[in-house]
Amino acid sequence: MSVSRRLDALRRRGVGFIAGVPCSYLKTFFAGCLELPPNAFLPAVREDHAVAACAGAWLGGVQPLAAMQNSGLGYCLEVLTSLHLMYRLPLPMLVSDRGAAEDFEEHRILGQRTRALLDLFQVPWREAVVGGEEEEAEWLLATSGSRECPAVLLVGPGRDS
Amino acid sequence: MTRAEAIAWVLASLAEEDLVVAADGAIAREAYRAADRPRTFYMLGSMGQVASIALGLAMTRGERVVALDGDGNLLMGFGGLALVGGVKPPNFYHLVLDNGSYATTGGQPALSQQVDLAAVAAAAGYAWARRCHGPKEDSSAVEQWLAAPGPAFLAVGIAPEDPHPAPRIPLTPEEMARRFRRALGPGERGQ
Repeated sequence: MSVSRRLDALRRRGVGFIAGVPCSYLKTFFAGCLELPPNAFLPAVREDHAVAACAGAWLGGVQPLAAMQNSGLGYCLEVLTSLHLMYRLPLPMLVSDRGAAEDFEEHRILGQRTRALLDLFQVPWREAVVGGEEEEAEWLLATSGSRECPAVLLVGPGRDS
Repeated sequence: MTRAEAIAWVLASLAEEDLVVAADGAIAREAYRAADRPRTFYMLGSMGQVASIALGLAMTRGERVVALDGDGNLLMGFGGLALVGGVKPPNFYHLVLDNGSYATTGGQPALSQQVDLAAVAAAAGYAWARRCHGPKEDSSAVEQWLAAPGPAFLAVGIAPEDPHPAPRIPLTPEEMARRFRRALGPGERGQ
């Protein structure tokens, strides 16, 4: 058991390697990650490195998960397209859902296009709900695994758990 | 020394169980032509991510992992050096073929002519880092690198010319990934 119900739900379903760059919307989740054994969590320096390391873990036979702010999707795009989508590598992703009208301006332009961006590359996504950790973990792993591609759970304000 | 000679030199020094991540472009194609092996993962795109892919492998596997990188590739994903130097996986072996240029795209000059890559790796926290100019000047460089404590970094200076470029790899990306993963079996670490 960690401080994060979402992390526990994912770990129980086999996630053995997590790489990510923190977001304040995912503070509880990352607090849980910091308690993991050293080889189970990679605090990446940028989101593209995080998803690339996740590809390495999957190739190594361990179920990965990437976590990041939605601004990081921009950095990831080349890796997601020419690695995960092209080689058909499963990758469950937790992505914060920043950019609402009342959010800071630096989050708005990409934040308000996050869903359109994922749709453009046919990456399946859904939104986290309060108390949905178990079912959402199930969906993330089943969807990314069966479709052999990235799948994104968008975590909005107040959905970190 | 040519790229082909350098890659043959490195691959001949590896054990069968070693895992290799070969950089997209001429390096992966040459590694395939020189000695295709199921435990080599061939990158086709995602330039700059050789070290990060290899790091994900090194953290989840017990075998030695060799990142077969290029200078332009490494410069594009320079943060990867901080990741490896910070995490310090003892089974991580980074080899950079340094021709001072972007050979795959037409030989445009790269900043590796000005930036000392081995010095940056050492400063980032690699346990061992040095540069060599091929087996004529230093016949034991690859051997020393593989015997050094990891993470270990070796930059090998090679000629920018490529008289006989290797053809594209006749495998689909899906085949490349699945063949590699099957050869390894389930990971034991990271749990």
